[in-house]
Amino acid sequence: MHGFGFDAVHDEICVMSPLAQAVLIFRGAANGEEPPMRVIQGPKTRIQGTAYEANDKVTVDPVNNEIYVPTDPTPNGILVFDRTANGDVAPKRFLGGPDTQLRGSPAVAVDPVHNLLLVNSGDAMLIFDRTASGNMKPKAVIRGPNSGMGRISSFQVNAQRGLIIAGGRDGFIGAWNITDNGDIPPRWKIPVQQLTGYVASGIALDPAHKEIILSAAGQRIRPVRGIMNTVITFSWPEIF
Amino acid sequence: MLSGMGLRLHGRTRTLVLGGGLAFAAALLGLSWVVHFHSRGSARLISIEEAPDLGDSCYRPASASLARRDSQRGLFAEFGEDTVHAQDASSTVSLARPPVRDILDTAPIYSSVGVDVERNEVFLQDSNTWSVRVFSRMDNAKPGAPPTEPRRVISGPKSDVQFNSCVYIDPANGDVYSVENDIGDSIVTFPHDATGDPEPKTKLKITHRGFAMMLDNENQELFLSVQYPPQVAVYRKGASGDEKPKRLIIGNKTRLSDSHGLAIDTRNKLLFVNNWGNISDWQVPGSGRFEPPSITVFALNADGNTAPLRVIQGPKTQLDWPGAMSVDPGSGDLYVANDMGQSLIVFHGKDEGDAAPARVVKGARTGLSYPTGVFVDAVHKEVWASNLGNSTATVYPLMANGDVAPLRIIRSAEENKASLKFGKTQALVYDPIREQILVPN
Repeated sequence: MHGFGFDAVHDEICVMSPLAQAVLIFRGAANGEEPPMRVIQGPKTRIQGTAYEANDKVTVDPVNNEIYVPTDPTPNGILVFDRTANGDVAPKRFLGGPDTQLRGSPAVAVDPVHNLLLVNSGDAMLIFDRTASGNMKPKAVIRGPNSGMGRISSFQVNAQRGLIIAGGRDGFIGAWNITDNGDIPPRWKIPVQQLTGYVASGIALDPAHKEIILSAAGQRIRPVRGIMNTVITFSWPEIF
Repeated sequence: MLSGMGLRLHGRTRTLVLGGGLAFAAALLGLSWVVHFHSRGSARLISIEEAPDLGDSCYRPASASLARRDSQRGLFAEFGEDTVHAQDASSTVSLARPPVRDILDTAPIYSSVGVDVERNEVFLQDSNTWSVRVFSRMDNAKPGAPPTEPRRVISGPKSDVQFNSCVYIDPANGDVYSVENDIGDSIVTFPHDATGDPEPKTKLKITHRGFAMMLDNENQELFLSVQYPPQVAVYRKGASGDEKPKRLIIGNKTRLSDSHGLAIDTRNKLLFVNNWGNISDWQVPGSGRFEPPSITVFALNADGNTAPLRVIQGPKTQLDWPGAMSVDPGSGDLYVANDMGQSLIVFHGKDEGDAAPARVVKGARTGLSYPTGVFVDAVHKEVWASNLGNSTATVYPLMANGDVAPLRIIRSAEENKASLKFGKTQALVYDPIREQILVPN
């Protein structure tokens, strides 16, 4: 499982069952062997992954009540479901095609304030209108050596500040502006790998405490302290 | 330094606000102005705006930043220039501050157990520190004693031990096999006395998500279970590099589904594979479904899209995320590390359908905590479990049943340790309602 979502508006956990092509929605306080409240699964869903990645990521937008599922290999794109969907249901829309520049199983985030869909595909941050559908080009792409944009399993958007918090190629976590386009460097960065020896794979934001929380597991990089699994928290008031 | 009460620009009066050091000086003088400089070439005035009254604070709230951008665009439009939001690499502010907290487990998290019955050694696979730890079979951490010291530890970049899910000891020569379940996608072997960071004797490239392995020394074959696409790959024993399997058990008739533990009964020529029931055909969209967990039984020489000889499946089986399996060659009994069931469950080799286990080792006295590894030591009539939940390995009489205390405990942490059970911390979310971090294993 490489990316899932917590819906703080409806108090729900949204997660993929990667090998069963299913989206599972649990109660936010679920514990033990509690079954999901809803399951999106079946032929109409068009959910498909690869032999390698399966279906490893899902994103929830609690403001617009939508769930985003990257799908691969053919068609390569993002399926969008209603948040309350249950059973064998068709997606509301599909964003995919060669012009989208979507590749593999990318991480997805939604900015409900500015109505943007952001996708970290390869070493690029693709920015679409939130309701983009079909074979649409992104309206902006952050990519290039100055940007330092890398690839991470999950990233975040601070919609109130208009900031994208994502992973950089040299193991840093950076904050880019949602209006950035091109080879634009981040406004701030925390050099996580340099500071800790870990390369972060997932990002969560805690606005109340002005902190970011990172998951990190040894991934071809052996941390010096010899412990391969960790969760690290940084104070980052600048982005809140 | 600019000063003054206002500045006429394009017929409008605005208050000039100074940024940076100028703002500080201005604040001392009771002034509050922002000046925005074009970032190309030399500095020049590009816009002015009234700043909110912040008293003596030099902090500029976000709204002022957004206002700055709007005024920039407006001003550029008036001057006929393109909107610029240029930040060169030198403008990135790098915050080299240490973390405020971290969550990690410093103890081993044991995913598998193998035993060298000839040399009386126990091998434990640790996915938290990427190591194989070797202990004496007779080690026993009594209450109050410090953690058990390993005799040897295999770990390091040359060893290529990573998120390994299975350690297996070749009964013929004591060679150590270890299966990497995630990004390594390999089976490495070491001589029985390997220690430190050795180069593997052999390294076999396997398909992604290999989970458990076993050797059939009679036929010189290596069996490997693969979670997804679900299959059993059978290699030549000694295969290395890119050598392909001799045969594959794969296809919809096999009823393999998210396959995990694997065991061989060489006397009765049987192959056992347990399955978690998460299944789909990755080439067919929307083909996913959930099935109950099961144990599928095949002929040892099964090949291709072959139906199992029988299937153990149903609520009476108590199967709950079954992990490793091991056969008692004398009786044919099948021992299963029943992870979420917090138990070792034992089936007769001929069981079929919704069969209740013949024996269940479970309860507070057992010390079992999310057991994912199991090994039958038929020589000494014992069965071992490796426990993901408390950094221990525990051993019981082979015919143990019920809530029985272990004969011995290998313990690699403090007593009553509750492990974080981090398998691989690839993702997380934050629950602001409960102020909790959710980390999938």
